[in-house]
Amino acid sequence: MPNFQLMRRKFQTAGMTHAIFLSLPITLFAVFYVYPIVSTFNLSLHSWDGFSPTPKYVGLRNYVVLLNQSRFYHAVLNNISWLVFLLLGPTSLGLLLAALLDRGMKGESVFRVVFFLPFTIPAVAVAAIWRWMYEPTSGLLTTILQSVGLGGLAQNWLGDPSIVNFALMGSMLWWTTGFAFLVFFAGLRNIPVEYIEAARIEGATPWQVFWKVSFPLLWPSTIVVLGMAAVDAMRLFDIVWAMTNGGPAYASEVLATQMYDTAFGRFEMGRASAISVYLLVIAGLIIMPYIHQLAKRVQDAEAE
Amino acid sequence: MRNLKWFGVALGVLAGASAARADGPKELWHYYAAGSEKAGIEALIAFANKQNPDNQIVGKVIPGNAVEMRRQLQTAFMGNTPPAAYQSSMAFELKTFVDSGKLHDLSETWAKIKGDEIFPEGVQRVVKVDGKPYGIPYDLSLINNIFYSKAIFEKAGLQPPKDYEGLVAVCDKLRAAGVEPLGNAGGPFWSLYNFYAPLVSTVGTEGYYKIASGELGFDSPEFRKGLELYRDTMVKCYAKNWSGKTWTQTADDVVNGNTGMFMMGAWAAAYFKQAGFAPVEKFDVFPAPGTEGKAIFQMDAFAVPEGPADTLETAEKFVISAASAEGQATFAVPKGSLAPNVTVDPSIYDAVGAKFARQLADASKANAVLPNLFFLLPTKVGTELGVQLEKFAIDPSDANENELISTLESLRQEAQAEGAYLKW
Repeated sequence: MPNFQLMRRKFQTAGMTHAIFLSLPITLFAVFYVYPIVSTFNLSLHSWDGFSPTPKYVGLRNYVVLLNQSRFYHAVLNNISWLVFLLLGPTSLGLLLAALLDRGMKGESVFRVVFFLPFTIPAVAVAAIWRWMYEPTSGLLTTILQSVGLGGLAQNWLGDPSIVNFALMGSMLWWTTGFAFLVFFAGLRNIPVEYIEAARIEGATPWQVFWKVSFPLLWPSTIVVLGMAAVDAMRLFDIVWAMTNGGPAYASEVLATQMYDTAFGRFEMGRASAISVYLLVIAGLIIMPYIHQLAKRVQDAEAE
Repeated sequence: MRNLKWFGVALGVLAGASAARADGPKELWHYYAAGSEKAGIEALIAFANKQNPDNQIVGKVIPGNAVEMRRQLQTAFMGNTPPAAYQSSMAFELKTFVDSGKLHDLSETWAKIKGDEIFPEGVQRVVKVDGKPYGIPYDLSLINNIFYSKAIFEKAGLQPPKDYEGLVAVCDKLRAAGVEPLGNAGGPFWSLYNFYAPLVSTVGTEGYYKIASGELGFDSPEFRKGLELYRDTMVKCYAKNWSGKTWTQTADDVVNGNTGMFMMGAWAAAYFKQAGFAPVEKFDVFPAPGTEGKAIFQMDAFAVPEGPADTLETAEKFVISAASAEGQATFAVPKGSLAPNVTVDPSIYDAVGAKFARQLADASKANAVLPNLFFLLPTKVGTELGVQLEKFAIDPSDANENELISTLESLRQEAQAEGAYLKW
């Protein structure tokens, strides 16, 4: 006859151990993730300057006011442009560089470092470098264009509202391509040589080998790079703030910089919180399908 | 049990650390992170500590600007660990903190330093909220002067203009000589500071204060006239691609002979000097048209948060030293700013600094010392004014002019309904 009491005690002890182990991450998650979100949402229903003792309850007014502001929509549109750019720009360039280097170029290790190096520089330093590169009269970019006879293409890089976002994206491309490159390069090196050789023996051209064999096998790397790009597009703040403060006249503003300006530039904590709730919802809508896909793949892999 | 013991030890260490924090050094927070500014604040702290050996204060740099300072202060106030004193802008910047009961009333200190006698009237009114002083002025810079390169002016045979017609004529001649006439820089402040001169020329000193108190609307004919004078003179004169430059990059353009004039705060003089561009010899200044006899200024003051008695004592002793003629000179000379204390000996300044000091003294006598409008307006109105002005300066179209007026006027009405305006 099974000793039910012993089994029950064992089960209780194991349950207790699990609970103890789980309590720390759950507490951390609740304190540092759940509580700030709930608190931010609560604050978004109030009007508060950040200092006075009692925030004033205003219901959904902050949300409604934002929906009536062209400034808010402009920032949302900028975030979406950044999303498209970050999904396509650094990803494609990183893939291209990785594919080129994977063909066994001379000085591969040097190029590997050179391509990755910008990614190791802090955002504020990148911004300082590019602020000088983009100086419209005697900056490096304008000087180079003038010296090759293309001075007509030189722009007021950071001062023209219709140009500034492209200029910022240029600096971001320089800064973040290294990450995509590294992930793709590692992915390419992990593809078994037999697959490539088999394709070649079957008469595939290098182009076909890349698109029909290598690229599909790079899917795990692509998922990582695209996911990070989407997250970066939503939380974008540092490079924009350090280079333009969202200007000139809101032209390069994204939701995170607008939130910062509203909170600390204008003392409107409630409205800034409402912006961050909108940002959370938009980021959730964009990123959740990705997380869902990722979770599904992990489940499938575990099932296999 | 053993784990619990370690947990207890850790808690004890943390408690000890927080107790140490409360008894730790008394801090002065500021954002003078580099160059002449840093030299100025360090000299002042050393001077005050020498005067008050039992009440030492330690400087702490908050990297960034006024906005970053607000963020840090807010967190510190929430955690009940504010500094002993901090660098604050004037007027509304102080009022926001006063309204929430965070700042210490400096009336007693003010009486000790004879604040009503040593500071000009225009300076006093922007550190007092409801008649009580909450800030000790120490770092004043005029923002209504135009710097010009003497070599460029001499080569083109030009004299500093006295009125707007003269300014436009000088700009035309400079442009014809292949030099960009008037520098400006991107961001919400510089175009706004340039705009004050045409605004004062149009609405007068009284009108300027009426805009500050919300009595004169942004949709008034006077304001529109000021805007159009700005468009037809300064905006017309601005250098190509100005909006893509920082103010130091534009100052470099003047040093390098690419730009003839630059309307910027007095701090540009210190930058020129550091770049080897000597005052009077290489550059000089003239008041922007319409501001002769007037002084429009930007100023920082020391604010003292409420706190324990010993921290308050240290802070008060520090601000008393900082307000003294010697303390003010200790800061102003390396920083390249003006001492708001009128008892400071004018011989401490270089030739251009002495011009600024005379300008301030003359304007004080004529009661024409005007504080930076940005800080007189409720924070959200001032900030939006800066943004809209930059947009208008980049593209002075009728559409942008009308948008500027309607955006600001609705903000003014909103702020008035909230009772946010104040008569300074």
